Amino acid sequence: MLNFLSNDKKMWRRHTLKSSYEVVIVGAGIHGLATAYYLAKNHGITDVALFDKGYLGAGASGRNTAIIRANYRTAEGVPFYEESLKLYEDLARDLDYNIMFSQRGHLTLAHTDRGVTGLRERAEMNQILGINSSMIKPERVKQLVPTICLDSNPHYPVMAALWHPPGGVIRHDAVVWGYARGCDQMGVQIHPFTEVKAINTRDGAVQSVTTNRGEVKAKFVVNCTAGHASTIAQMVNVDLPITTHPLQACVTEPLKPFLDPVIVSSTLHIYVSQSDRGELVIGQEIDPFSSYSFRSTLPFLEGAAMHLLDLFPCLSEVRFLRQWAGICDMTPDYSPIMGFVEGVDGFILDVGWGTYGFKAGPVSGKRIAELIATRKTPNLIRPFRLSRFYENDLVGEKAAASVSH
Amino acid sequence: MSRLSTPPSSTLVNRSKPLVFEYNGRRIDACEGDTVASALMASGVDILSRSFKYHRPRGHLCGEGHCPNCMMNVDGSPNVRICSEKVCNGMVVKHQNAIPSPEFDLLAITQKFDFLMPAGFYYKIFHKPRFMWPVFEHFIRKVAGLGVVDGKTPPYRYERQHLRADVVVVGGGPSGLSAALGAAEAGASVTLVEQDSFLGGHFRFQNPESSGFKKVLELEKQVRAKSNIRVLTGAVAFGLYEGNMLGVVQGRRTVRIRAKRVVVASGILERPFVFGNNDLPGIMLGRAVQRLLNLYGVQPGKRAVVVGSNDRALDVAADLLHAGVEVAAYADQRERINDSLESVKLLKSKGVALLPATTAVSADGKMHIRSVTLGPVAGRGENIRLDCDLLVLSVGGDPAIHLVQQGGARGFFEEHRVEFIAKRLGEGHFVAGDSNGVHHEDSILLDGRRAGLAAAQGLGSVDHAAEIADLESRLSANPAVVLNPKTMVAPDGSGKRFVCVCEDVTEKDVCDAIREGFDGIETLKRYSTVSMGPCQGKMCQMSAIGICARETNRTIEETGSTVSRPPFIPITLGALTGRNYHPHKTVPTHSRHAALNAKVISLGDWLRPEMYSNPAEESRAVHERVGLIDVSTLGRIDLRGTDVVKLLDKVYINSWGNLKVGRTRYGVMCDDTGIVFDDGTCARLGDQHYFMTTTTSGVDGVYQWLTSWMAGTSLDVCVTNVTSGYGGVNIAGPRAKEVLGKLTSLNLDSKEFPYMGCVQGQVAGVPCILFRIGFVGELGYEVHFPSFYGEYMWDVIMDAGKEFDIRPFGVETQRILRLQKSHIIIGQDTDAITNPLEANLAWAVKFDKPDFIGRRAIFEAKKQGIKKSLVGFVTRHGEVPEEGTQVMENGYSVGRVTSARFSPHLNKSIGLAWVPTARAKDGQPILIRSKGEWVIADVVTHPFYDPEGARMKG
Repeated sequence: MLNFLSNDKKMWRRHTLKSSYEVVIVGAGIHGLATAYYLAKNHGITDVALFDKGYLGAGASGRNTAIIRANYRTAEGVPFYEESLKLYEDLARDLDYNIMFSQRGHLTLAHTDRGVTGLRERAEMNQILGINSSMIKPERVKQLVPTICLDSNPHYPVMAALWHPPGGVIRHDAVVWGYARGCDQMGVQIHPFTEVKAINTRDGAVQSVTTNRGEVKAKFVVNCTAGHASTIAQMVNVDLPITTHPLQACVTEPLKPFLDPVIVSSTLHIYVSQSDRGELVIGQEIDPFSSYSFRSTLPFLEGAAMHLLDLFPCLSEVRFLRQWAGICDMTPDYSPIMGFVEGVDGFILDVGWGTYGFKAGPVSGKRIAELIATRKTPNLIRPFRLSRFYENDLVGEKAAASVSH
Repeated sequence: MSRLSTPPSSTLVNRSKPLVFEYNGRRIDACEGDTVASALMASGVDILSRSFKYHRPRGHLCGEGHCPNCMMNVDGSPNVRICSEKVCNGMVVKHQNAIPSPEFDLLAITQKFDFLMPAGFYYKIFHKPRFMWPVFEHFIRKVAGLGVVDGKTPPYRYERQHLRADVVVVGGGPSGLSAALGAAEAGASVTLVEQDSFLGGHFRFQNPESSGFKKVLELEKQVRAKSNIRVLTGAVAFGLYEGNMLGVVQGRRTVRIRAKRVVVASGILERPFVFGNNDLPGIMLGRAVQRLLNLYGVQPGKRAVVVGSNDRALDVAADLLHAGVEVAAYADQRERINDSLESVKLLKSKGVALLPATTAVSADGKMHIRSVTLGPVAGRGENIRLDCDLLVLSVGGDPAIHLVQQGGARGFFEEHRVEFIAKRLGEGHFVAGDSNGVHHEDSILLDGRRAGLAAAQGLGSVDHAAEIADLESRLSANPAVVLNPKTMVAPDGSGKRFVCVCEDVTEKDVCDAIREGFDGIETLKRYSTVSMGPCQGKMCQMSAIGICARETNRTIEETGSTVSRPPFIPITLGALTGRNYHPHKTVPTHSRHAALNAKVISLGDWLRPEMYSNPAEESRAVHERVGLIDVSTLGRIDLRGTDVVKLLDKVYINSWGNLKVGRTRYGVMCDDTGIVFDDGTCARLGDQHYFMTTTTSGVDGVYQWLTSWMAGTSLDVCVTNVTSGYGGVNIAGPRAKEVLGKLTSLNLDSKEFPYMGCVQGQVAGVPCILFRIGFVGELGYEVHFPSFYGEYMWDVIMDAGKEFDIRPFGVETQRILRLQKSHIIIGQDTDAITNPLEANLAWAVKFDKPDFIGRRAIFEAKKQGIKKSLVGFVTRHGEVPEEGTQVMENGYSVGRVTSARFSPHLNKSIGLAWVPTARAKDGQPILIRSKGEWVIADVVTHPFYDPEGARMKG
């Protein structure tokens, strides 16, 4: 009866490389997997291969702090992230895999007049677009998070907060595995430990992909990588306005749960949530220098401790268990780059996800799949086209995206 | 369990100094030198905790601060490893994760349902139907976690220290001591970091009659005598970071050590192996037993069985005999036991059964081990069952190479030694002794000295290559000692076979996960949670890798290991923070504002007067008479050199070549994507001397920006941040000239000192820099003076202004006055994608100069044409919309309000807003949604007050 709890069925199978695929996706993180999943599920396109140079979820998909929310700032960003949140709400049922989307609310704190204005701007925009998001007073913050100290940092007392009840955290690895299983069941091939070395074009169109396991032909090649997005794009001589920065995170030892919502403070450069295992998961802003390094730093750990204690002085005796780093592909306006690329037929970008890629995985996958199947750019992702950087048509999400995962 | 009647001479415990503490409301007697664990065990407490998932009873296991079994709450601190926590008088110790007590835990019922909880079960249930997940999750969160944060415990005070050393040796065991001596003798300054409160490592807690014990005492003596060795005991190096910076925590102090070279001599991490019920209380690692016996004088059991795989295990068995513990049997996983060893002779003489090629297959007992079943390592043959209350596991350990791995090294599996050895070490990193895979008693010392000398090479004047070569040849002549058994998993036995004690992951869980496809070590870890608990794999990594290799028919090398991440041991937030200072910056005139009862507010790091009376009164004074505001918080950067103009032309969008001495100019800085990020004025004080002001919050960023753009160029510019060296005030209003005139002999005539002029001279006898600028829209003089004259300057100006009824005005009035002039505040009226063309700063952009940062991007933006604009507005019915509200058109947001205030002088509500460029015309109506209401406003594209600027230029 309980066989479903433990069985021998592999989540995904191993395959030898075929000589050609209709779609090759570079990067088998959440973006690549979601794209493959919706290609197969929504459009019946299953002649798809996913290549990743590491194990599944080795990159940003396994290193992020797994925060899901839609309370962005712009008229372009909000509906996009909202669709992702809705997809996440239904994803466990869709994948028949408990990805543990825990909608315990998302709370962004303001500690300065300017911070309050920034949050009000988002609350107003969110409400206009029908998002459950509002400004709340410090007393309400204290009700939601009784352990928080509202004024332990004399410079930065909590003056107000943006409260977004549908936000929360998710089990990021489970999302990756669930999508991978779904892809595998529909016939998509997943190839971990397969590194793309070159993307070959002829007459301005994608022809094939060279990997460490051989060359395969492809009609479409989708760049779903993160930190190395610009190096992959370079393979077809596309320059991206992307710089790569490390982003670090850390967790504490497990504690009896006392913190339900996700807490974000961009003034204190910190965000924190408590997982169902009891660990506090903490992140800060990207490192100020660009680098491909995964090495952790001590200043990060010290900064995380200091700022967490500003909000929760009672955590002084709690211990950090582990710290790690990932690398992020940052765009100038803190919005992604999605869509076809002029001059390279069949090459599709789904990059520039900076520090906010995981929460957008499902919607990007769905819409990029739609773009491939219909050869048309869906309206929802049109604002994120590469050419916006040449058309002075940026989508400014920095105030809502940096530090505010 | 009890105290030994005669403690060994090696003991750390002073039995003549009694201490008392409280455990779960019970009084526990201890002695000075005891750990909480040794005192509890001496008092007969053997169940120290309940496990994470199944709530199984757990007892003393590793004794070295790594495993999760002894985590308790000590004086309000959760998750304290009591095996490494010294007893203090009056301590209050409480158990964790058990209701009501570790001895009797109601949550142990979860064990009965273990068949419902295989690895990753939670991914497969609870999600259907959707609304049930929050219900299940609520329950899961009730039982999750270990320690409790009570929110009441006052934070301890932590300190931070910064040290430097030529060579840092991590680990004060035999190899570390030898390394420190070697490096010190070679002339290096050495810092030795030791986790324990004593030096000597595992030799120190061997029998005091042993050769190892005597050797480390001698070594310690030599080390202590060296003036160039600093010894930190009770200190854990938790991270090896970029630039050879070591993070060390020593009690309530964090020490950051910058080292030229780092020797890691951190020994091995002993761990259990996998067999049935291998987690029962009474099952301990060999080193934990030796510590209890030889350091704390506590007898861990009455009748022991020892399972080993090396000669060190025999020493443990011998130590037990010395302490009067009956040893029922000694089982060794090796085929042969060396008869010539003293320890073997002793065991034989006491009639202990020696069982080669034998291992434990399962243990029995409910709350404590009662018997163990031993069987052949090969799995075939007869098992024997022996009663015991102590099972000692001494089957080697993993070289502690975590730090060098953090520093870039990789662990390579060495088949014959059955352990991961660090190779491809980072620059300046060395590994020695047990952690280098060198386990022979003499070799450990030689290898330590070798590493110490090698680390010091090139730091002193003497070359030690010859001695290093000699040591290497002696090392290779010594026999290689293998500590580890071939496998960390016993053949089949009954009971739960735990791989990971932190997370309650069994061998079956690991195998299930592998069968489901999580067959790489990284995915296996994430799915089964093996090695993700408080010990971070120190107890389980090798077993997990071994099982993964076995199940997937790969070698250990092919299977690989997971990456070690800092910190090496969990570190408290308090220690990492140190003292969490939040110093305020006060302006040099601060006391005067306080005396005037100004409302002082915190702006960034600064305390500034917001208002003295009310904005209506203050602004009237500025418009009609004269006002005084402190502007000390402005950023100030002094620039000197022959190439200042080149630098300014590079970083500002404006041109600077034609700025004459004695003039100042408003400047705007953009980043390389053409986004406005700071503004201010820059004055030319002399031929090659400029004085820049920046926004209050922007000065550090601008200073970094300037210096980073200078780096690598040969520009002759000296950039100095002089912000705190100066104080400043702005005297503004139609009578400002008269007030200032009373205090200075400088010619203030508009021809001599016109609008946007600057001059250096004395005001009231103080050397000042004066600018004639008009941020608030009236005739104004910004006076900058050495900051220590702050109070004096304030007083003389207020005095001089008395006859003109001068009034101080605060930040709030300044905000209104600047808004009347439509002067923007960067960061408030602009955002992270604002280019100067949109922000009405097109006049400042000089495309005709060769290059400036952001030129290309702004040029492209200009070609494309701008789509949104920052404009002024006046609301029709006097409402003041909240800042951050949206400008609406046809139900869509098309812009937003960035600033809004009521202007008492104009008797209007005015503001700045972003609107579509098509709307950016005088008189265009805009609709603002504020607090759910609609506010109608009209666009104003010029300053609201004195649009020609006649008053400030006047």
